Amino acid sequence: MQQARHIILSLCLLIIPFSVHADQDAMQLLQSMGTAAKNLNYDGVFAYQSGNKLQSIRIIHRSDERDEIERVLSLNGAAREVIRTNDLVTCIYPEGKRIHVNRRPLGRGFPSDLLSRLSSATDYYKVTLGDESRVADRLAQELSITPIDNDRYGYRLWVDKASHLLLKSELLTDNKDVLETFAFSTVTVNADITDEMLRPQITGQEMTWNRSDLQSPNQTTAIRGLSVWKLDWLPEGFVLVAQQSRLKASTGNAVEQRVYSDGLSSVSVFIEQIHAAHNHLKGGSNMGAINAFGTILHSHFVTVVGEVPAHTVEKIGNAIRYGNAGQ
Amino acid sequence: MMTVNYNEQLSALVDGELQGEQLERVLALLKTDVQAQQQLQRYQHTSDVLHGFTTKLHPVDLSERLALALQDEPTHTMRSQSKANVLAFPSQLWKQLSGLAIAASVGALAVVGVMTQPENQLVSTPIQVAAYEVVNDAKPQLASSNRWTVGEPEVEERLNTYLVDHNEYAGASGVFSYARVVSYDAGQ
Repeated sequence: MQQARHIILSLCLLIIPFSVHADQDAMQLLQSMGTAAKNLNYDGVFAYQSGNKLQSIRIIHRSDERDEIERVLSLNGAAREVIRTNDLVTCIYPEGKRIHVNRRPLGRGFPSDLLSRLSSATDYYKVTLGDESRVADRLAQELSITPIDNDRYGYRLWVDKASHLLLKSELLTDNKDVLETFAFSTVTVNADITDEMLRPQITGQEMTWNRSDLQSPNQTTAIRGLSVWKLDWLPEGFVLVAQQSRLKASTGNAVEQRVYSDGLSSVSVFIEQIHAAHNHLKGGSNMGAINAFGTILHSHFVTVVGEVPAHTVEKIGNAIRYGNAGQ
Repeated sequence: MMTVNYNEQLSALVDGELQGEQLERVLALLKTDVQAQQQLQRYQHTSDVLHGFTTKLHPVDLSERLALALQDEPTHTMRSQSKANVLAFPSQLWKQLSGLAIAASVGALAVVGVMTQPENQLVSTPIQVAAYEVVNDAKPQLASSNRWTVGEPEVEERLNTYLVDHNEYAGASGVFSYARVVSYDAGQ
């Protein structure tokens, strides 16, 4: 019996370092993936599948010492485009003849700096290496990311072995059902990207331009009242990672955005003061795998938006309360 | 979580002293804040006692009575299978609502009554002016559409603006996240 215990103990000692090592490799690859998306030049077409909808989208990304610029455009239906530069996000909606320009809150590169907080996600996800396979004619390493609870989604990612660029991503429910898939069908890494390739298809003439700006310190002080909101519940591991206020282009209303994240998943809470008769979401809605929950509290529209399950945004929405500044 | 400021405004509402933006804010508060609704009833009752309109010790729940009365009224129900609930304030009705609340405190209670209607109804009688909602019988299907499951363009636009802002913080699918914005199904 004692001998059997020794054998089990020895096996455990062998297995534990192996699994830790495997997780470290997986985490390292995940971090490299974030860096690659930011630093590489690439030009590709990927499919976005959500439910029974399938869309082809082109992405062109260029990064050098001075600038980072990215153009994402739909290849089916309306030729919508999003162009991101160092500090601006420009959304072009040709069907409505509208252009929205938002100043980027982070202003220091993208896709986002959330991936720099990946180390904090390790307590809430099991990150493991999977098999190798081929995506967009490139050899890819699969990464499996399984959450510890059902308050957040899981992922399966396929990362290019050569460049560490993310080639395919699946968003998974706790039943392992696939909610959304993004997958490159073709991509050129280290592509030569000209200025012409990054220009929008339309000139902007006869378009309506809306511009939302981050608020100056003085303006922020003026709406200090917006910051007295409290949250009584968040999924385990979610912390406040960003907070900003901006003036909405369409109404001029101040909107406060708070971003909470566990390092991988994130939710935004938007708080907008009601100044006139407007309609608002009451309860839940979804767009693909993005869930939203809206309510009105204390004369404010409060909306929770995130890549998390519907019950999570609802629970967060119901846990928001208005508190006095001194609380 | 009412503040002293809002208590003062509720009191002013009972006295018919609110208008414009202040009135709109208080009405919006009353729509969702049960505590504010109860406080309004207390103020109303106090006002009634002071003016000799009642000798009862307990506040009268006019909102409940009004809700019961409205059940017998003809209604027009809007139903949409896959749409989320939208809280709608038609502008014309909003103006009527504002006038109503200024005119009389009882009117203000009537507003509370309609707002707490359990059914989502667009009502047609002159006093049924507060709000209507699109019924959501079916739960939204996960990832069934590239479009927000709401029926109101104004709400949809607000959610799209939020989506763009939220995308800046997208996590693991960061490279692809703006695909949701450019593939938004405008043709549904």
